[in-house]
Amino acid sequence: MPGGCGVRALWILNSFDAVVFSRKFPVVERRWKAACKAEGDNSAGDHADTVKCASAPFLPNDSELAAAFAERKGREGSPRGFGIRLAQSTQGSDSWVDDPITRHVISLQIGGEGGGENKLLLWPLILHLKGTYSILVLPLVEPKHLKAYAKLCSKPGCGDTVGEEPSLSSLLLDLPSITGAFMVAHAIGDIITGDVVEPEVVVSASPSVGGLLDSLTGSIGITGIAARAKPVAAPVAAATPSGTAAAGSIASDAPKAGSKPLDKDVLRYFINSAMPFGTPLDLNYLNIFSIKANGFSSSDLPPADVKQPAWKPYLYKGKQKILFTVHETINAAMYDRDDISDTISVAGQINCRAELDGLPDVSLPLTGLNKSNVEVLSFHPCAQVPEHGMDKQSVMFSPPMGNFVLVRYQASCRRDPPVKGFYQLSMVSEDEGAFLFKLHLMEGYKSPLAMEFCTVTMPFPRRRVVSIDGTPSIGVVSNTEHSVEWKIIVSGRSLSGRSIEATFPGTVKFAPWQIQRLPSSKLGSRNIADEDSDVEADNTNNMVNVDEFLMEKMNKDLPPVDLEEPFCWQAYNYAKVSFKVTGASLSGISIDPKSVSIYPSVKAPVEFSTQVTCGDYILWNTLGKCPAAT
Amino acid sequence: MSDDKGQPPPAKPVTPQDWELLIDDFQNGGPLFQKWNSDHHHPNLIHALLDHCLSSLLKKDFPLKLPLLILLEELCETFFTQELQLDRLLELLRSVVQAPLDGITMTFALKEQFMVSVTSIFIAVDALDRFPPRQTESLVELLLTVINRPNHGVDRQTRAIASECLRELEKCYPCLLSSIVGHLWSLCQSERTHACQCYILLFAVVVYNIVDRRLNVSITNTSVPLVPFNVPQAVSGSDSSNINNKEVSSGLNFKELRKAMAFLLESPQVLFTPCGMMEFLSLIMPLSLALELQPSMLKVQFLGMIYSFDPLLCHVVLVMYSHFMDAFDGQEEEIVGRLLLISKETQHYLIFRLLALQWSLGFLSRLVFSKGMQKYRSVIDMGKKFHPDLFDPLALKALRLDMLAFWSICLDNSKTEIGSDEKLGTGTSVVKLFEMGLVSVSSFRWLPPSSSETAVAFRSFHNFLIGVWSPGDVYPSESTMTRESRAFGSLQGMLVDMTLGYPKLVPVIASFVDRLLACESHHYLGELLLQKTDQCLLPKLRIDYKLVSYFPIFDRIAENKTIPPCGLLDVLIKFMTFLVEKHGPDSGLKSWSRGSNILCICRTMLMHHNSSRLFLGLSHLLAFTCLYFPDLEVRDNARIYLRMLICIPGLKLRSILSFGDKLLSLAPSPLSNSFFSVQSPRHHPTIKQCQNISSYIHLERTIPLLVRQSWSLSLSPLGFGGMKPDFLLGSTTDGVPAASRENDSVVVISSSLSESTSSTINSSQETLRVMDAKISEILGTLRRHFSCIPDYRHMSGLKVRIPCSLRFEAKTFNRIWGGNDSSTNLPALYATLLKFSSTAPYGSIPSFRLPFLQGKPSRREPIPSDYTALDIVPAGESSYPEDEKSFCAPVSIDLEPREPTPGLVDVFVEANTEDGQIINGQLQSIMIGIEDMFLKAIPPPDILEDDLALPTYYSKLFDALWEACSGSSSIGREVFSLQGGKGAAAAAVVGTRSVKLLEVPADLLVQAIEQYLAPFVVSVVGEQLVNMVRDGGIIKDIVWKDYVPDSVSDSWRSVTGFDTGPLHLTYTDDDNDNDKRNNMIVPTASLGRRNIGTILVLIFLPPRFHLLFQMEVSDLSTLVRIRTDHWPCLAYIDDYLEALFLT
Repeated sequence: MPGGCGVRALWILNSFDAVVFSRKFPVVERRWKAACKAEGDNSAGDHADTVKCASAPFLPNDSELAAAFAERKGREGSPRGFGIRLAQSTQGSDSWVDDPITRHVISLQIGGEGGGENKLLLWPLILHLKGTYSILVLPLVEPKHLKAYAKLCSKPGCGDTVGEEPSLSSLLLDLPSITGAFMVAHAIGDIITGDVVEPEVVVSASPSVGGLLDSLTGSIGITGIAARAKPVAAPVAAATPSGTAAAGSIASDAPKAGSKPLDKDVLRYFINSAMPFGTPLDLNYLNIFSIKANGFSSSDLPPADVKQPAWKPYLYKGKQKILFTVHETINAAMYDRDDISDTISVAGQINCRAELDGLPDVSLPLTGLNKSNVEVLSFHPCAQVPEHGMDKQSVMFSPPMGNFVLVRYQASCRRDPPVKGFYQLSMVSEDEGAFLFKLHLMEGYKSPLAMEFCTVTMPFPRRRVVSIDGTPSIGVVSNTEHSVEWKIIVSGRSLSGRSIEATFPGTVKFAPWQIQRLPSSKLGSRNIADEDSDVEADNTNNMVNVDEFLMEKMNKDLPPVDLEEPFCWQAYNYAKVSFKVTGASLSGISIDPKSVSIYPSVKAPVEFSTQVTCGDYILWNTLGKCPAAT
Repeated sequence: MSDDKGQPPPAKPVTPQDWELLIDDFQNGGPLFQKWNSDHHHPNLIHALLDHCLSSLLKKDFPLKLPLLILLEELCETFFTQELQLDRLLELLRSVVQAPLDGITMTFALKEQFMVSVTSIFIAVDALDRFPPRQTESLVELLLTVINRPNHGVDRQTRAIASECLRELEKCYPCLLSSIVGHLWSLCQSERTHACQCYILLFAVVVYNIVDRRLNVSITNTSVPLVPFNVPQAVSGSDSSNINNKEVSSGLNFKELRKAMAFLLESPQVLFTPCGMMEFLSLIMPLSLALELQPSMLKVQFLGMIYSFDPLLCHVVLVMYSHFMDAFDGQEEEIVGRLLLISKETQHYLIFRLLALQWSLGFLSRLVFSKGMQKYRSVIDMGKKFHPDLFDPLALKALRLDMLAFWSICLDNSKTEIGSDEKLGTGTSVVKLFEMGLVSVSSFRWLPPSSSETAVAFRSFHNFLIGVWSPGDVYPSESTMTRESRAFGSLQGMLVDMTLGYPKLVPVIASFVDRLLACESHHYLGELLLQKTDQCLLPKLRIDYKLVSYFPIFDRIAENKTIPPCGLLDVLIKFMTFLVEKHGPDSGLKSWSRGSNILCICRTMLMHHNSSRLFLGLSHLLAFTCLYFPDLEVRDNARIYLRMLICIPGLKLRSILSFGDKLLSLAPSPLSNSFFSVQSPRHHPTIKQCQNISSYIHLERTIPLLVRQSWSLSLSPLGFGGMKPDFLLGSTTDGVPAASRENDSVVVISSSLSESTSSTINSSQETLRVMDAKISEILGTLRRHFSCIPDYRHMSGLKVRIPCSLRFEAKTFNRIWGGNDSSTNLPALYATLLKFSSTAPYGSIPSFRLPFLQGKPSRREPIPSDYTALDIVPAGESSYPEDEKSFCAPVSIDLEPREPTPGLVDVFVEANTEDGQIINGQLQSIMIGIEDMFLKAIPPPDILEDDLALPTYYSKLFDALWEACSGSSSIGREVFSLQGGKGAAAAAVVGTRSVKLLEVPADLLVQAIEQYLAPFVVSVVGEQLVNMVRDGGIIKDIVWKDYVPDSVSDSWRSVTGFDTGPLHLTYTDDDNDNDKRNNMIVPTASLGRRNIGTILVLIFLPPRFHLLFQMEVSDLSTLVRIRTDHWPCLAYIDDYLEALFLT
């Protein structure tokens, strides 16, 4: 049986590296055993013994797996591992492969302690960290793939030329089961943390409309997903992939604090429905849980002459309408420098909720695509994309139930940035900094574009703010222990039809600097000899200014960041802007409700709304260091 | 988990909690599981448990049905071993499936799980092959009845699951359902609920298996009823591979099958979930190949999926591409472009963005390297899309930099292939690419070296470097050489600049170089890098305290043989000067650490380079250090290194240094390691009393040693000083190799002295010998001399006598040995036997007997009053010295050295006490110094001792030996036969030279010589000196020369090659300037100190070696030129001379 993706087993470990849930799939395991046997027959005496035992038909029990996982964690510094080959990487470990993806596709040595003889290599294990849990999924691959990896991670030498076969890239390309396993892991992650949220669809009249579950279950809560958040008008829940990163953290890979105990029954039900034999069929948990909650009644008739898609187990009945929301997230790096140009990019998506009878097709013309310099367009699987991609003019799709993301795109910003200006911070002494903001808000923005709120935050994660001095030209200032917050536009008093200029000169006082010896467990705590004392001694002599000296001093014990971060945020001084703009998209993408057509033709009102929020909207300290990309 | 439940026999779980514990434990492989599973006394235990499980599952209100089912499923191979058990299971399933729903205990979910678990168990235990087919048939029948209600509303999900069960069975037992495929098709066609995906997949897999096994079955035929179900003949045969051949004959019904395909391809992309699509296409792709369908059909229908944001669908397209490379030809650009864009979609989980990049890398490399570069130019031209964005996570940036590296390789190759040399040089473009990419992690330059940015940057550097390099086989191209020179050179340059600009990065760069060096195929790259660093970095370095941070890279340079060490030595000398100059009150410990670090590097050099390359520079450095460095320990260590450098030939030095890596790494006490083997007294405790025998019985040297030698150079692993010294040629077994080894090592030294870098002087090469009158005279003298030396192998050798004295303390003795402890009576030892042994090559040492020895009363105590009453009254008790003497017995140790080396002689004593007790034990060892080995040369028998000819003979002998030991000897490989030597037994002279500057005034020098070396002086030259010495009157019977013959001193000077005086350095303060470094070390030998004469000293070292001093005496200092034909002795001579003159 070629291709396909099966899962041999999956485990969920808690923060203490104990298995809290596990599931093995004997049917897939049987296939693995058969493949091993065939491989063993084919290559008897062909390979070294190590490879032979690597592909032994064997699955560890929970405690063995937990032990191996803990061992790897200890060896590689963190659950994810180094990802990159460092000086302390050992031959045979994942980081030896020198590919950051080994932080996600890991291997485990089972049966660790007693020397290399009895060790068994388990690969590829998909590692997904969610909440306090580590989810491990072991997809079915062929023994030859496992052998290839075993060779890769123990290959002597300094590494291969990029693109040279065999490589991890080509293995990943050949193994859709790994991709499938990631989908499984993410679905399970969402379920165990209760992050089952539908994309938000906002309508001008009411701030939000419920999704599939609401339309089906009304107020009946579903066990296990009771934590489902009703979409609210405030920032989009960052938990789904549709959300974008909050400053300094990647959307959903970042662990979320405080998760509830694992509901094993829900998980068992999900697995039994989504992948009864280990081969995933449908990972849409919303559908699965609505089937569990509602079942089917004899009144749920199948459509008369067409087949009902597997992703749409229920058909809508009721008053018909169709809603669209363009939701854009703006990322910006504002330097206010001559040598580095500002970068502004827009990540957008069109969320949709089609409450339409039967199985209609909807055609949605997109306007503004040509002008808005859209770089990427990706579609929901329900959209019918012709062979050569979308002509960028209209999308034809057959909407599923509930809220869904129809299109995602990346574009450049067609307007001026909603907030522009500069931020300067200069350290007057070791513990006191003088800063100045000069910002223009909504310059050139006309009604109906409105800014609902705007806040500027200066984070100082490594220093304790003692006091803040200075009065802004507009807005209110407050500070927490590690940040200063300036609310320029308080929500409720939205800014529309005019632009404002906001300045804020002031000083911020910090508690004296203390060396922070953070346990640098993450990326290599390389032991570098402490001859730095010499360098330091020298620095004090020819120090240029307080800023640089302080920078040097503070950066000395900066812990390495995870590879999931874009850069070491803590090394820079910056201000982060957050705001929300409604009224029109910044990329220029728009939907004309009148030109939406539905087949078979039906009269249904079409509503459309837009909202723009901030992702990483950063004003870099003009007087300090800043990261750049090009 | 639950140890309390572990008592045998295990209690059956009763409550749900019990079950929960049991399930947990079984999954963990915990103690309970072991108990149930492996108890050999109760083979039926596990079956009993299974019974219990099954009956629990039947109970209506049992709450843990699902977990229990899953447990049975996961451990089915343990549980289900008998037909009967499967029967029961099947029965159970039937009752559950047919049971009416009550919504509480009997739900669809339970039914579905039951079907899945039972199917799973059947497959996992291989029910069809291991047990009669009846059971599988009834399972299939049961499932078929479930699915045979298309469009039935309520149980559509259950039907979907049931068809999944059937699909798994069909997958496991191909063609199991082939006989009813017609029914399945019609079910597919009629099913319209969302379950139709499962129906279609089931049908597809049956069709696939039919085609795969080339089974001649009509897929439209519905004549066979759906139930009762019978396993087809083709499947029930245990060896399913047979059917392949049997049924092939008739072939497939292509028409029907294509019809089925058309049905399958109708509109799956609208119906299927992404996962379903994955399954579906994995069946469809081989099907369409087998049925010879146009792959372009698939392309038209499925290529659009690449525009979906579902990663699975994108991957499906890629899989499809690899299946139908040709049909998808021309689509590469679109696909790659799309993948790159996916990686830019910030809405995705990071992992999918990473995957997209990995796919495109895998995809591109496969394309490029399978089909040639030119074809995919358009793909390659998309390079600019590879650049990282600011907010890309570092992992993504790393992969994007990989893409850039890959692109640079492609770009490079494509240019070569096309042959068009675009204006942009290859090298520059690669470097430009790299620089542009590197901006995204540029902060690595100022972040701590442990930052992730640094890791990413250097990873990328590595990829670019080895990508550009790629010698030969992988990307064959003729431009490798140019690339090497351009791109590689530029990258190298960048690295060097980085090193220069950011000293913090040095450790990282060092480990980067290490990584290359450790690699077999890129070792050369690492060396190139180091060479470049050596060339470009060292001259640019500023000499200040920051230099310390470059030490890791210096270490690498020092290690590398391909790099001439002079540059590094230069820097180190400058730095040493700087340190000395800047030394102040607050730099104490730092100076120590820096100095030690420098010495570490020196040691590394010593270990890895020929001494000849190092000699000049390193000796300057070390000499300077031991003279001027403020820290004592560093000075001491430098002295040791210097001594080793001078005294030990390179080959041996390296093996000594590499004995253990830590040996000399400036441990607090470098002398106390195994290299300098300190021979400490060993105790052989026999009985309690003997334990501390050495604390009260003392054997002491009569003449104390000048140098309290705490160490001796032990070279036994190298063939020296071992049981078989191989200095003598002609021992039939290993004479020749020994000689060549010896010769080799000397060649290294001598060539080092003359600063010729040639280490190629072959040991087997016979030196051309020109015999003139002078040489023949020398040879004559030598022959005569050697013929007087006894060959200890054939006769008794030369003896060295060490006078000692034995005494013991009466009081302690009494205390330990009892008897009259009242100390009224002095104890005595009778029949004392002293036995000697030594690890040093001193031959066999005769033991010494002493009939009687009286104990010595403690000095502080008065001699007891009744002492006089004793019978035995030592003579002259009244006078103290006499008294002292009488309690001491003279003992002499006769050594017959095989090698003139210091060492320890262990002393064992055996004696009787008065009351017959036997004393047995070891005494303090006797130290033998090098000076004990000093003998006068043996005069030939025909010259009488008092003859005037004797001084002349010695003088002549001195000249002859001096010449012979010059290293570049003109006496060639002449061998001299020894006295009593038989046949081939003979000795060769291989000389080594050294110098020593003694800063002592001439009169003190002469005094010391008179006291210690008088017998060995053969000649004094120079009027003033002659007068001085002659006046002393101690040295006599030698050759006096009032004048210094110019020719002689000239020839000495030129031969030694030491006139630049590396050992005495003058440090000049103002000399900080780089250009003036040559002036920094000024040899004082040439400074105008008045030479008042020369003393020549000839010392014979048994068994047959010589040590020659030529002391050029000035008013305030004396330069001792040393020559010897036994180089190891130089190691001790330094100390000796210092002790002799400087203390």
